[in-house]
Amino acid sequence: MASTACFVIVSKNDIPIYEAEVGSAPKKEDLAYHHQFILHAALDVVQDLAWTTNAMFLRSVDRFNDLVVSVYVTAGHTRFMLLHDSRSEDGIKSFFQEVHELYIKIFLNPLYLPGSRIASSHFDTKVRALARKYLYIRGIY
Amino acid sequence: MYTFTSIESQIRVLSDYAFMLRDYELALSNYRLLSTDYKLDKAWKRFAGVQEMSGLCYFMLDQSRKDAEYCMENAFTTYLRIGSSGQRNATRCGLWWAEMLKTRGQHREASTVYFRISNEEPSLHSAVLLEQAACCYLLSSPRMLRKYGFHLILAGNSYYLSDQKQHAVRAYRNALFVYKQNPWSYINNHVHFNVGRWYGVLGIFDVAIKHLLEVIACSHQSLTTQSMFLNDFFHFVQSTGEKFDVYKLQLPVFNMSSLRVVNEDHRTYASNADVDVNESIWQELEEELIPSSSVVRTNWLDTQPKSSPFRNNKACVCVAGEAVKLNVELKNPLQISVNVSGISLICQLSTNLNASETGALTTAAEEDIASTKPSISTFESDGNNFTVSKLDIVLGGGETKRIQLEVTPKVIGILKLVGIRWTLSDSVVGYQYFEVATQKKNKKGKRGARRSLNTNLIVIKGLPKLTGYIECLPTKAFTGDLQLLTLNLRNQSEHAVKNIKMKISHPRFVIPGDSSDLDLEFPQCLRKHVQSDSNTVSEGTKENVKGSLFAFPQGIKIQGGTTFSWPLWFHAATPGNFSLYLSLYYEMESTTDIPYRTLRMHYNVEVLPSLDVSFAISMCSSRLQEYIVRMDVINKTPSDSFALNQLSCVGTKWAVSTLPSRDSISFVETIPANQAVSCFFKIKDLSTSSCIEAADGSCGSDIVLSPGGSTDVFDVSRTPITDFHYQERHQQGKLAKVPRGLLDFILISKAVAVNSSKSEQLLSHHTCHCSALSQNPVWWLMEGPRTITHDFSKSCCEANIQLVIHNSSEHNTTVRVVTSDCMAEKSQTAPSHESASGQGGWHDVSLENDIKAIASTKGTHSQKQSSESISPFVWCSLSSAQVDLKPDSSAKIPLKVCIFAPGTYNFSTYELHWKVHSSESGHVDENVTSGGGQGYPFYVNVLQGA
Repeated sequence: MASTACFVIVSKNDIPIYEAEVGSAPKKEDLAYHHQFILHAALDVVQDLAWTTNAMFLRSVDRFNDLVVSVYVTAGHTRFMLLHDSRSEDGIKSFFQEVHELYIKIFLNPLYLPGSRIASSHFDTKVRALARKYLYIRGIY
Repeated sequence: MYTFTSIESQIRVLSDYAFMLRDYELALSNYRLLSTDYKLDKAWKRFAGVQEMSGLCYFMLDQSRKDAEYCMENAFTTYLRIGSSGQRNATRCGLWWAEMLKTRGQHREASTVYFRISNEEPSLHSAVLLEQAACCYLLSSPRMLRKYGFHLILAGNSYYLSDQKQHAVRAYRNALFVYKQNPWSYINNHVHFNVGRWYGVLGIFDVAIKHLLEVIACSHQSLTTQSMFLNDFFHFVQSTGEKFDVYKLQLPVFNMSSLRVVNEDHRTYASNADVDVNESIWQELEEELIPSSSVVRTNWLDTQPKSSPFRNNKACVCVAGEAVKLNVELKNPLQISVNVSGISLICQLSTNLNASETGALTTAAEEDIASTKPSISTFESDGNNFTVSKLDIVLGGGETKRIQLEVTPKVIGILKLVGIRWTLSDSVVGYQYFEVATQKKNKKGKRGARRSLNTNLIVIKGLPKLTGYIECLPTKAFTGDLQLLTLNLRNQSEHAVKNIKMKISHPRFVIPGDSSDLDLEFPQCLRKHVQSDSNTVSEGTKENVKGSLFAFPQGIKIQGGTTFSWPLWFHAATPGNFSLYLSLYYEMESTTDIPYRTLRMHYNVEVLPSLDVSFAISMCSSRLQEYIVRMDVINKTPSDSFALNQLSCVGTKWAVSTLPSRDSISFVETIPANQAVSCFFKIKDLSTSSCIEAADGSCGSDIVLSPGGSTDVFDVSRTPITDFHYQERHQQGKLAKVPRGLLDFILISKAVAVNSSKSEQLLSHHTCHCSALSQNPVWWLMEGPRTITHDFSKSCCEANIQLVIHNSSEHNTTVRVVTSDCMAEKSQTAPSHESASGQGGWHDVSLENDIKAIASTKGTHSQKQSSESISPFVWCSLSSAQVDLKPDSSAKIPLKVCIFAPGTYNFSTYELHWKVHSSESGHVDENVTSGGGQGYPFYVNVLQGA
């Protein structure tokens, strides 16, 4: 059961282009910056790790107390980062793969400027639906 | 239990001595010996101590890194396991461990060790340890700056918790180097806010405010966070006790791309909304109105008009004493409403007219702005040269408002708009300068000059100016609505203006009235009893209406300080939204820099559909020169009902009357919402001299439909209705492309007012170019006895009847009458009538061999029907007759029918064929040069006589 899950897409210029709190725990305002700090710091680790492997899914790269950062790096060096406290690696991997497909669709949009913020509400709802599907342990939904 | 004198303790002392004497090998072997013993005895504290020492020995021997780390790890976890008594030892062990890793250059691992120790320590200790961890990240290669920043923030937090604010600020400030210009908004806000807040607590307000300024315009934060930021900010600002000047304050956000300077040179506007109308619309409208600049040119080489010295200058012109307006959009990014007061322009007015010198002056000022941000107070105290408006507004959460700022120059010179200043919540003064880059663009190309912002304005001497508005122009009206409006013009200056002209974009909707119309009471003035010879007047205005340019009478001058009114007639012609543009041109009495000015007015009117009127006209088959008119009226409004008042034919040529059978039924027609009504009328052509029936008094061009009687009749030949009708006729003729309309109708109706307080609303619907369904140049009519009594035992009956033929066309016409004896039942119905005339093919056949053609076509025609019956009567006088008819004349052709048996007969088995001889050869008449028609049914009863 992922009570905390913060999903961020970071462009290759280290700018967050999409942010979503997808955890089932009620959103707390003061935690938002907390999550950003952890994810931002994890970028350092990703930077090292990304060039050591062929796999796009880097598994959990960093942890802070009981929060784990899992990262998926696309070919264009856009990073999908998920801050979570659950351990279902398979679910996270499928989540990242499906989000990657969605992201490619966004990229195909000729009006989307690569590296700019993803403001599509369609994308947002899809990502949230995927998070419900893969990140929550069965029985909750 | 191990006492000091136990063997294990002795060995421990021995190995410690060995360690001190740098015999690490001996020390290590003894420590290992001890560790197994302690482990077996589960003396964890001693075990951990031995492990720690063996770890150090491994490190000093520098043999096996793995072993050293393993030992330290073991010691550390064991210390932690034994609870609070091992806490300090764990920390010491961790410090050794971290130092070990640092010495070997494993900074990353060292920092994780520091981080692990920090979790177990009180806040001040953990702060120091976290700072160490951060330093390790900085030293590691590659450098991990983000981790460094993160751990510094954690350290700062711990410092703050342990009441070490200065250290906290130091840690955060170091972290700021990492997070400077960071797009991660929450991080940015957190760091700036905390640094600002702690500085504020420390009493260093200016730095605190500087940091807090970074976060007060955060739109992504929640309401509580935003109000927290803002409260802290204002708290610190107030504690400083003075007003702060902030360059480029982010609250509220001024949208500089929406900036627009409105200066009135020769173009003046009635209201602020009119400014937004595209300039090209006005220019098109004013094309005939304003004197063209080509007049000034002496020859074709002289392309630059020399009329105004300001024309060549790219700067705009404004008039002293008149406000220059500046529109700008401002947005509140927060969810909290903010109070913005004293929004005003920062301006410079140099009274030196020498353009080059001023240019130098202004450029100097620009550089000044760019480099040092001069204090605003120097511009503020310029009250004797110009005045600026101050505006106070409250912006709600997330609200965007468009504001208008004004500056009124008082003296001649060059006015430069520098920027905007405002006060936020009575405590912070924000100011912003206009971008200078747009001016450079101005200099480059003429094209861009109009669109881009021009902040330099030449102030010229005061001019008279008219302001105007149309009184009670409806924003919503029903189609056909007719109203009398008043145009009010006011001259606010001392000087008079003359030579006033006006142009209206939609003469179909609004036409200027006559000066006498002003005091008339509408709609009573339109009633018929007010007889006047206004026809001549309307002729005159018709010419004006054509060009939609209206010149006020020459004598009219508007003196300074007076108000001038002029009537306007409004008629909502077609449903839909339309924009009405009015442009008034006037000249100055005295010679000034600008010889003329224009006043531009713009109104939007929504016209709702009301009554939909259509007419169907068919020829009357029983009388000549008469038509039956069906009027269909549909009320298309959802809730309003209308009372029909009168129907009028335009012109004196036509007379309208009710059908004879309907005389007794009163025509009270109120059409409720969404209902339709059909009425039938008879119209008669009065102009032809050969009209068979003399026009009796009851026939007029108007017919009253309301119960009010003839007093309620409106005169359609008077000014507004005829003028509007002329427009409608012109417009509908253009749309329909009908070459020649037969007649025009005007239906006047009244809105049935729900509440009686509303004044009477009059609607006029104009339907033009109505024509009969079939339009023949020849009319014919059978005349004769309807009942014949005859004794068939003696002989067959001969009935004398005559055919009256009338030529209504403008040319000589030859008409042939052909009778045939076969019975054509189908000929009585309209479609076969048309097909028969089509079969006749008379358009192509010449007059000489027409008999053959008729015979051949009739042959086929009769073959079809030969099986039907044999005709019971025979035309006996002639089979065909030919008459020539002059224009507007009638002829009678006597016919004779032989009847063999009593019964009822229909003498319609004849055909007419005509050919119109155009007077000019080669000129083809509009539609019909030749044609034909079947006979109308004419029933005769033949009875058996005694």
